Amino acid sequence: MTTLLQVTSLTKQFAGKVVVDGIDFTLAENTSTALIGPNGAGKTTTLSMLTGLLKPTSGIVKMLDGDLRSTIGFLPQFPQFHPWLSALEFTEMAAKLNGVPANKAKLEAQKTLEFVGLGNDINKKIATFSGGMKQRLGISQAIVHKPKLLLLDEPVSALDPVGRREVLDLLKDLQQETTILYSTHILNDAEEMTDQLLFLRDGKLVEQGTLHEVRERFDEPNYVVEFNTEEEADHFIQSEHIGKAKGRYVYIEIIDEKESMQELLHHLSNAPYKIRKVERQTASLEEIFMKVAKKI
Amino acid sequence: MRGFNVLLQKEFREAWRSWKFLWIPLVFALLGMSDPLTNYYMMDILNAVGNLPEGFEMLMPELMPVDLLQASIGQFQTIGLLVLMATFVGAISKERASGMATLLYVRPISFGAYFLSKFIVMSTVGFVSILAGFAASVYYTVVLYGTFEIGSLVASFFTYFSWLLFVLAVTLMMSATFKTIVATSCAFIVIFMGQMINAIVGTFWTVSPWKLPLYGVQLIRGTMEMSDFWWSLMMTIILTIVCISIGTFTMKKNASMTKI
Amino acid sequence: MMEELAKVPWAVIAPLIIVQFILMIVALVDLRKIHATNGPKILWVFIIIFVNLLGPIAYFIVGRKQT
Repeated sequence: MTTLLQVTSLTKQFAGKVVVDGIDFTLAENTSTALIGPNGAGKTTTLSMLTGLLKPTSGIVKMLDGDLRSTIGFLPQFPQFHPWLSALEFTEMAAKLNGVPANKAKLEAQKTLEFVGLGNDINKKIATFSGGMKQRLGISQAIVHKPKLLLLDEPVSALDPVGRREVLDLLKDLQQETTILYSTHILNDAEEMTDQLLFLRDGKLVEQGTLHEVRERFDEPNYVVEFNTEEEADHFIQSEHIGKAKGRYVYIEIIDEKESMQELLHHLSNAPYKIRKVERQTASLEEIFMKVAKKI
Repeated sequence: MRGFNVLLQKEFREAWRSWKFLWIPLVFALLGMSDPLTNYYMMDILNAVGNLPEGFEMLMPELMPVDLLQASIGQFQTIGLLVLMATFVGAISKERASGMATLLYVRPISFGAYFLSKFIVMSTVGFVSILAGFAASVYYTVVLYGTFEIGSLVASFFTYFSWLLFVLAVTLMMSATFKTIVATSCAFIVIFMGQMINAIVGTFWTVSPWKLPLYGVQLIRGTMEMSDFWWSLMMTIILTIVCISIGTFTMKKNASMTKI
Repeated sequence: MMEELAKVPWAVIAPLIIVQFILMIVALVDLRKIHATNGPKILWVFIIIFVNLLGPIAYFIVGRKQT
């Protein structure tokens, strides 16, 4: 995969306080990357530096394919528009400012607004828009010029569940032909569309990799055996000397995939009662997040 | 100058849709009317209000048409400039503070183009405004007092417009450089304190932008020392260009102050 | 006093009143269309109507809210 953006020891200090602390990462073309971390971790500051709006204290942001400002689309967390313009006028202006030829800009703006679901509101003044409509308009102004790199700051956090679903679907469509970097503190969103995870905590990049890799690193996989009653579960542990009980469930840590499985099967075959369910359990991103957040 | 036309269109739309092209000229028209009217009808007004002692005679100075234009310009200099500056002093700083600038600053625009587009729209509003103000003042003066010589009147108008360009350039530069409150204070200090200083100790020098409004009147009176006029005009134009350059620079430098 | 007032040439005063009137109407139309104002809308209605000249100006400078 070709690298599109290379970030090297990016650092930002505000009045002596380090907000982003020497982070390195690369974005490959046409991949999605989620920048996750608790509030105040430096996500917005990092994105602002990538847009060029904020000058890094030190470090390099290198766009490998053309000039940075001409190749990105940016959606801030709370986009502010000029309220006296209509959605079409604003999107058309955005397109033209990014170099879309004047004769094509209007058509592109119309198509984009339809794509984000504002087809019926293109001539309405932005002053009359609801929060969800503004978020869609925000996406449309960020993608109307078909940027190579799309930077989104908390694109769905402010939306209701329906709006969130719709916007996520929009982003999945875009994923095919655009490199996307988005920040979020809602992990289900990250789990849904991401090739790479960047965990940010106190301005430091504490963990990165594909969802699979990160999961491997932080997962403590268990087999969960469900019995009919608590007594049966307790009895199973006492007689077989394995696992930990929690109600009707017995948790058995997996140390080595193959051995653990053989051992489990062996113990299970000894058990004199009905077993309702055996399951291999992996940590959710939420759990991994908590672990990474606490990691020292 | 990338994006200049697009930004200019945006600025014009804003000014148009917020009625700036209408209400500010109307204010100037009212300001222009007030002096010729009140002076002419001073006696009638006083009589109508009443309570004048029996046989009261006020000695009214004999007013020339140009005196009334000068009085009107005096109105533009205070209330008129106050209105224009208060309207435009947030042009850049408020866009930053609200975050509206963010979606423009991330694009490959030229800050020179953005600054100039704002300056041009402000100047156009200013032009229409003082045109309305001059027209109203001159109309009433001509009806009630007497005529002007058209050539020197036009010269006076454009002299005042040059001063106004300087005022607007200072205002916009402050807006680019500071937050709105500081920008307002600084712009007001430069323009209005300048006028005061000029009024108090201005006799010690003859070349300064603050002298232009009066010089415009003196063009009509025919008492203008032309070399002073040209030097002041040149200085005003140069300072206007300097303000535009500094403003463009600080606008770019302060781009990161925009709320994200 | 009424006679004195009648002597005032209204033909000359009229444009002044008309310009003020237009200014007031423009401010009211804008107030009607605008999304939000600084302070309650009804207050601005009174200011625009009852504070001659300065009312509409005050509205345009500080009354309109743009964000």
